[in-house]
This record gives sequence, C-alpha cells and structure tokens, in this order.
Amino acid sequence: MSGAEDRRAPPPGRAAARRPVAPRLGRGLLLAAFSLLFVLYVAGPVAWLVSSSLQTEAQATAVPPNWLPPEPTLANFEAIFRAGERVVTYETRRQGDPATGGFLPTGAQNLLPSLRNSLVVGLWVAALNLLLSLTAAYAIAVIDFRGRRATLYTVLATRVIPDIALVVPLFLVIRALGLINSLAALVVTYLAVTVPFTIFILISYFEGIPRDLYRAARVDGCGHWGALRQVYLPLSLPALVAALTFAFLTSWNEFVFALVLTQNVEAQTLPIVISGFVMDFTTSFSFVNAAGVIAIVPPVLLAVLFQRYIVSGLTAGAVKG
Amino acid sequence: MLRLGYDERAAALLVFPVVAVLLVVAAFPILYSFWISLHDVVLTRPLRRPFVGLDNYLRVFADERFWIAVARTTVYTVVTVAATTVLAVLVALLLNEAFPGQRLLNALLLLPWATPSVVNGLMWKWIYDPSYGLLNGLLVQLGVLERYRAWLGDPDLTLLLIANAAVWKQMPLAALLLIVTMKAIPEDLYRAAKVDGAGTFRRFLHVTLPALRPGLMLVLVYETMISIRHFDLFLIMTQGGPGDASFTLSWFIYVETFRSLRFGTGAALSYILAMATFLLSYLFIRFLGRRL
Repeated sequence: MSGAEDRRAPPPGRAAARRPVAPRLGRGLLLAAFSLLFVLYVAGPVAWLVSSSLQTEAQATAVPPNWLPPEPTLANFEAIFRAGERVVTYETRRQGDPATGGFLPTGAQNLLPSLRNSLVVGLWVAALNLLLSLTAAYAIAVIDFRGRRATLYTVLATRVIPDIALVVPLFLVIRALGLINSLAALVVTYLAVTVPFTIFILISYFEGIPRDLYRAARVDGCGHWGALRQVYLPLSLPALVAALTFAFLTSWNEFVFALVLTQNVEAQTLPIVISGFVMDFTTSFSFVNAAGVIAIVPPVLLAVLFQRYIVSGLTAGAVKG
Repeated sequence: MLRLGYDERAAALLVFPVVAVLLVVAAFPILYSFWISLHDVVLTRPLRRPFVGLDNYLRVFADERFWIAVARTTVYTVVTVAATTVLAVLVALLLNEAFPGQRLLNALLLLPWATPSVVNGLMWKWIYDPSYGLLNGLLVQLGVLERYRAWLGDPDLTLLLIANAAVWKQMPLAALLLIVTMKAIPEDLYRAAKVDGAGTFRRFLHVTLPALRPGLMLVLVYETMISIRHFDLFLIMTQGGPGDASFTLSWFIYVETFRSLRFGTGAALSYILAMATFLLSYLFIRFLGRRL
C-alpha cells in the first residue's frame, strides 16, 4: 500500500531477494487484506444482485436473507423472455408465475422490445459517432487551418453544460421536429453527448502518430482523405475500439434524455423500462433484479473484452492535463 | 479577402458534419434555453408566453425550495466528492502495487464503471430495502442492529446512502486517473526519500501526494461537476424524499419542468446550475490548482 514499495515493485524477483523476509510477509498480508476488502466492495453489490436474480421471490425476500440461492433457478429470466406472451392486467398479475411471487410488473412485456431499442440505438450511435469524430479529429489534429483551435474549444465546451440543463430546450427542439418518442431522436442526442469526448481521444491519439508518415503519404500523392484512410485509420485501431465502446456504453446507460424524449414501448430503452419497475410498488424483487442483471451483462462484457483500450482511452490526456 | 486553399477546404468539409450535429442538438438548445428562461413559458398554456425579463430568476431566488435544494446539493456533492477522492487514492495505491492477482483486480475495477446508473440505483435500493434488504440482514445477523429499519426513509441518512451508491460507481474512473499519475512519478524520488530516512507514511505524504497533484485536481473538478448535476439516483431511489431530504437542484429542475410544466422557471434553474458548475470548476482550477 505504500508509495515507496510500489516503486520497487516492477522487477519483483530482484527487489524481493534484497528485502528481509519479515517486511515481505507483512506486505503480503497487507496486500491480501486490502485486496479482499476491494473485491468485497466492488463486486459484492453486483454479486448480491445476481444471487437474488437466481432465487424465487420467496427465497429472495426471506429473513434472514439467502446470501446464495438455495436452489438456483432461471425462472425470473424465463419470465422476462416469456413476458410478451401473456397479458398482464390488474386481475391476472397476482396469479402469474409462482416463481416470481405472482407479481409481474405491468410493463414486463416491454422489457424485450426495450432491450432491442437499446441495442439498435447503441449500435447506431457507436457507428455514426465514429464516422463523425474521425473526420473532425483528423482535421483538427493534422490540418493546419484557420479556426482550428476555435473549433476544438467549441466542440469541447458543449459538454460543460449539465445534461439536465439541456433537457428542457432539447425536449422542445425534438418536439418541434416531430421526433419525440423516436429512436432517431435518441441517436442524434447521444451523438451530441459522445462526439466531443471521442474527438478528444482521437486527437490525442493522432498527435502521437509520427508526422513523417503523413508527409510521406502526401508526397506519394494522397489527399487528406487518402492520408486519413491509409495512414491514420489503420494506425489508430486501439483508439477506435475505445471510442466505439464508450459511445455504445454511454448510449446503453443513458437515462435522463431517454426519460424525457420517449413515451412508450416504441422508443423506450432498457433503463427507462427498468426504472419503471423499480418505482412500481407491487413489483417482484427477483424479477426486477433479473432485469437489472440483463442490463448489466452487455456493458460488463464489453468492459472485460476491451479493458486495455478502455483504460488507455479514459486516461488519455490525463497525464498531459 | 478570404482565400481557401486545399487544406482549408478539406478541413471545412471534414469538420462540417460534427459542427452541424452539435449546432442542432447542443449549441441551439443552450441558447434557446436562455431565451426560455427570460419568458413565462407554461406548457399548459402554449400560445401565450410573455417576455418577463429576469422574473424567472427572481422567482427562483425567492422560492424557499431553491435554498433547500442548494443545501441538499451541497451536502450531497461534498460527501460524494470527498469520499470518492479518498477511496480512489486508497484503491490507486493498492492497484499500483505489483502482486499476484493485481491484473484481476484491475479488471474488476471496471465493473462499477460499466454498470448503468439505473441498475446501480436499483441494486442499492434493493440492498437498503426496509423489509428484505441485505444491509438490514447483514447488520441483524452480526448483532449490530436489533430489528430491520427503513434506511432510505430516514431523512438524516438518505443523502448519505444515495452518495454511497454514487461513490461506488464513480470511484473507478477517479482511481484510474490517479493510477496513471502515480505511474509517472520518478522512482528516484522514493530512493532519495528513503536515503533521507523517510518512513513509508512520510514518503507517501511528501513524495506521492505532491506528485499526485494534477491527478487529484482532475478528479476533484470532474467529480464535482458530475455530482452537482447528478439526477438518476434521485429519481430511482427517493424521488426527492422522504419529505425534502433528497430534494436536490437537479430534482427540482425535473419537478418544476416535467411535473409542474413551468418551463420558464425550469430553464432559469438549469442556467443557475450550469453557471454554478462553471464557477466552481473555475475556482477549483484557479485557487486549488496552485496550492494543492
């Protein structure tokens, strides 16, 4: 845990050999203890969410709680994927699936369509975000044109305004365009949210690419479009992966704009439908937890898969700053 | 006379799509919002929206709910930022060490970061649940608590419990930024300190902490901006309650705009919050930047 020890840490073999046994043991115990605390804190809540999603309603609401599912069941997930087949009304909701305690939220059948909406919006945002940012970042990082700095600052400044402050006018603009409750409205909004950050990442990456490669390409007769496609695009794959992941995650997780800009199952995304469950009193806990698990899986998978790119993307510019 | 060379024509063409999108969905709404804040816009009365100058702002300042919201937002922000920063420093110190399993912990760090805020709210609300929650279960099983209690229903605890959920999600990014800064500290500084006889704690105090300044700066500004405007958890966990215990500025904006449909005062509130955010980050950078 000490700053001093981590400096010596990188060549573990040599450092360890030079040090007496007692402090090494102490250090090991300390690290183990803190690692355990860290794992409990970071993974504990999610583990509990997963655990209670694998229990029946009766087990999940037991006192004292069942820390692990006594008999793991996928009934809640089955209920989610079957929800579309049944009509839930005030009369029928009580007699529903016994596994969920019979309390299926009224919006249960909206869950799968909202999952689809979230995926569609996320993929569109990721793709368009990359296309738009790529050209702009190239121009700002590589071409020396009048208004270059002004363009950069304007782009970044749009992100300083709190989302909640943008919600009101954006709602009116989107309504005037007749796009309320459409996936297109969400895609355009999320582009505005994600593009500035992507441009920022790509610029700091592009600036690290040797200028000579650019000159060579231009000498060989490439225009800017050619230089972008043949030099910058292939060399910045890590940054592109990070940018795609961020855009998808931001759009997948976003809540406020989706809450205000969508009204029903046509355009509602997963967070909106789930938040509806949470605020419904009669909701089955195990069912909602299962819905939460479904919402958590894609972002966590992406995070694990692209961990290295995400970390370098997130911290881009931090060192310079 | 404006002459555009090949470079400039290409740049204009390449930058145009982004600028167009940002103009429509960011720049225009920001200006439009200011216009709305100067008019009495009520959605239930769409045709008449008279110009009222700064009346909306004055009305907000005269509203006692505004000052309650300022107090709640301040408490929430201070608690969240402080806890996030302290925890992030500890986590960064741990993950900056080399030990078996360290890579696994690094991967785990991204778990809260990737969790959607709605799921974060749902998860903690479930943990805090008055009848079946894990927090009650744990404390009763450990003998700390005699019987289950309604955690979020306690006005003294609500803000702190929401802050805890926020810290859980925000800590990883802060820790990552600090780890990057730590990796850049030259090893010689530690050797020199050791030669001078500085112990582990003093080396942290006199070498690590000062070198961490830019990272801490970034974390403080970023976390403050995130916390002061935070909304999602308040809607999902408490809806401003119990009473007005978690009635923050962002929640006030939402209620004023989308429940009372008073867009004029809603926009004025939004502008006040945006200005406060600006001012705070400026002050942070101006004063703390030098001393920290």
